[in-house]
Amino acid sequence: MKKVFWIFLLVLLLVFTGFSKETVTVWFAGTTKGLIDVVENEMIPAFEKNNPGLNLQVEFIPWGELSTKLTTGLAGGIGPDIFMHGQAAIAGFVQNDLIMPLDSYISKLEEPDDFGGSMTSGLYKGQTYAVPVFGSGWLMAYRRDFFEEAGLDPDHAPDTWQELREHALATTKRAGKNFEVAGINLPVSGIDLQQVWASFLYENGGKLFDDDFNPVFDSEEGIEALQYYVDLIHTDKVSSEYGLNPVGNLLPIAAGRAAISFVNSENMAAIKKYSPKAYTEIELTIPPKKITRAGFYSFAGFMVSKKTKDLDSTLKALSFLTSKDSIIKINEALGSIPPRQSATDAEFVKSNPMLRKYIEGVEFAYSNPNIPFWVQARDILVKYLERAVRGVMDPEKALKQAASEINKLK
Amino acid sequence: MGVKKRNTMKRRIAITAFVFIAPVIIYNIIFRISPIFISLYLSLTEYSGFKSPTFIGFSNYLRIFSDTDFWGAVLRTLQFSLEVVPLNIILSLLMAILVNKTIRGIKVFRAIYYLPVITPMVAASMIWLWLYDPQIGAFNSILNFFNLPTTYFLQDTSTALHSIAGMRIWRGVGWNMLIYLAGLQGISQNYYEAASIDGAGKTRCFFSITLPLLRPVHLYVLVVGMIQTLQTFTEVYVMTNGGPLESTTTVGLLVYRLAFDYMDMGYASAMSFILGIIIMLLSIISFTWRHTKEAVV
Repeated sequence: MKKVFWIFLLVLLLVFTGFSKETVTVWFAGTTKGLIDVVENEMIPAFEKNNPGLNLQVEFIPWGELSTKLTTGLAGGIGPDIFMHGQAAIAGFVQNDLIMPLDSYISKLEEPDDFGGSMTSGLYKGQTYAVPVFGSGWLMAYRRDFFEEAGLDPDHAPDTWQELREHALATTKRAGKNFEVAGINLPVSGIDLQQVWASFLYENGGKLFDDDFNPVFDSEEGIEALQYYVDLIHTDKVSSEYGLNPVGNLLPIAAGRAAISFVNSENMAAIKKYSPKAYTEIELTIPPKKITRAGFYSFAGFMVSKKTKDLDSTLKALSFLTSKDSIIKINEALGSIPPRQSATDAEFVKSNPMLRKYIEGVEFAYSNPNIPFWVQARDILVKYLERAVRGVMDPEKALKQAASEINKLK
Repeated sequence: MGVKKRNTMKRRIAITAFVFIAPVIIYNIIFRISPIFISLYLSLTEYSGFKSPTFIGFSNYLRIFSDTDFWGAVLRTLQFSLEVVPLNIILSLLMAILVNKTIRGIKVFRAIYYLPVITPMVAASMIWLWLYDPQIGAFNSILNFFNLPTTYFLQDTSTALHSIAGMRIWRGVGWNMLIYLAGLQGISQNYYEAASIDGAGKTRCFFSITLPLLRPVHLYVLVVGMIQTLQTFTEVYVMTNGGPLESTTTVGLLVYRLAFDYMDMGYASAMSFILGIIIMLLSIISFTWRHTKEAVV
């Protein structure tokens, strides 16, 4: 009987201790194992040790499901206090009155000036809505061994569009109608197509939208960029019309099926892990120029829900998650670009020449425009880019129709 | 037993019965019937999911009439259903006849044929993604072995929808086989014996006894198959996400995109209702066809 009493008391104590703690819920985007490990094994215990009255409840949501889960969660009132998302999502959340401006709280973060220019990635209409956590960029990668085999200088990366075409032609190997090695692996569908084509657009001096959210990608620069992209596939036949699939978890360039490819920092981290031999053959470079150089870069940041119940606790968690130490841990786990200037001196950056290349490439970075109807606009653009790339629509007509459809969204 | 006592007992039985079925009724009211009415209301509103819905009458329905994306998706979904359902019926009937034999180890075969049904749709889709892969997929390995060119099953607009239909047939055939098996085992052997005495062969027996007596099963399989295929979403979402060039975008996927990617819940609800009406009409036609057939017989 005495034993039962003590057990009962212990259970009561545990229950009340649990209830007496405030819980801050955080949704991380992505399910990379390294990130999950570092957050669960190091960051959460450290936060709860320093804040005994607080629980940090973290969930990891795959990027593909993030918008859906956030939409349903926030609409149903069960969304997180803090969540991570890409910078292009900010306008939509602000438009729907879901996230709060953070300007008056930025000063409470650890050394906020350390974020430098990356803090502007969280800006929308003059207010800060997100604190950057990690950056990702698309650079061009090529295989040194394939360049050598084709009689090209492996130390000289293609510098212009003309050189890119020549290098791709020289490295292409065909087996009948199929590619043994594609000279270049250009994305032919989805978001990747939009982001890589936009690099060519910016390299040609164009841009996606003007400051009043009007689509301007159907300019002469845009049409020329798309024509060049389509010609690489259909005229020069150096890239597959159907795209190249990964081989297991290896990208085509790592699997030896493409000589040149566009890759982001997470791709490179995966190649290093799963195909260390191919990694040593891959050289990273800033994409070639027509008028200028350009690489697509984007920052993901933490945003705070307007429905957060205990703002003080939420801000403590935000401050912890964006501290120097946390930013280093998260970016080290992801192999991504840290938004804090001090973190670029961290050991994991110093010892990773590929990552340093991505940090160098920030100089030529462009991002997706922060407009409220971005997701719909992007999908329309992708739909017409695909038509052009598949050869069922003329590039000029495709871009004009995409612009006309997007104009109706305004 | 007096009338009063009998009435009391009847009432008790009724109450007891109601208590037993109450959980099911409550479940259906909350999770099946209420959402229909809520969705009907939402279809008459502009609703993002975050702010209160604004009543806009039939504007969403009028918008649908001129929406080429929607009607394209309807035609594609109907094509998908027309490919999957008849082939599924034929294959499952043939398989049911095969496993309706009393030979050794037949239960193992039945279990093997049924396995795809219990495979989660996402897992099945992932497996077929690999099978269809142009570089490392099993189907292309076979084609290449016979010196046939690589086929881009899911990347080519002319083959993508058929390829998903193939996967769907593989997954659904086991379930329908089971239904047909139950139907076959419900047919009395007397009919076959009488027919064989009259000199009827196996083919004649199949067309004159088996097929007509399985008519209720055909109807069930047809209607359920249509309802399921017209709502196709998961396999398309996983395997092609509607591409290439929208060639596999079904109504289910379009509704999902509108509701959760573009937060246009009102319009998505209206689309769902139109799809519901199409499914209802097709089901009514199927039932009417059965009754007409029976009247003729």
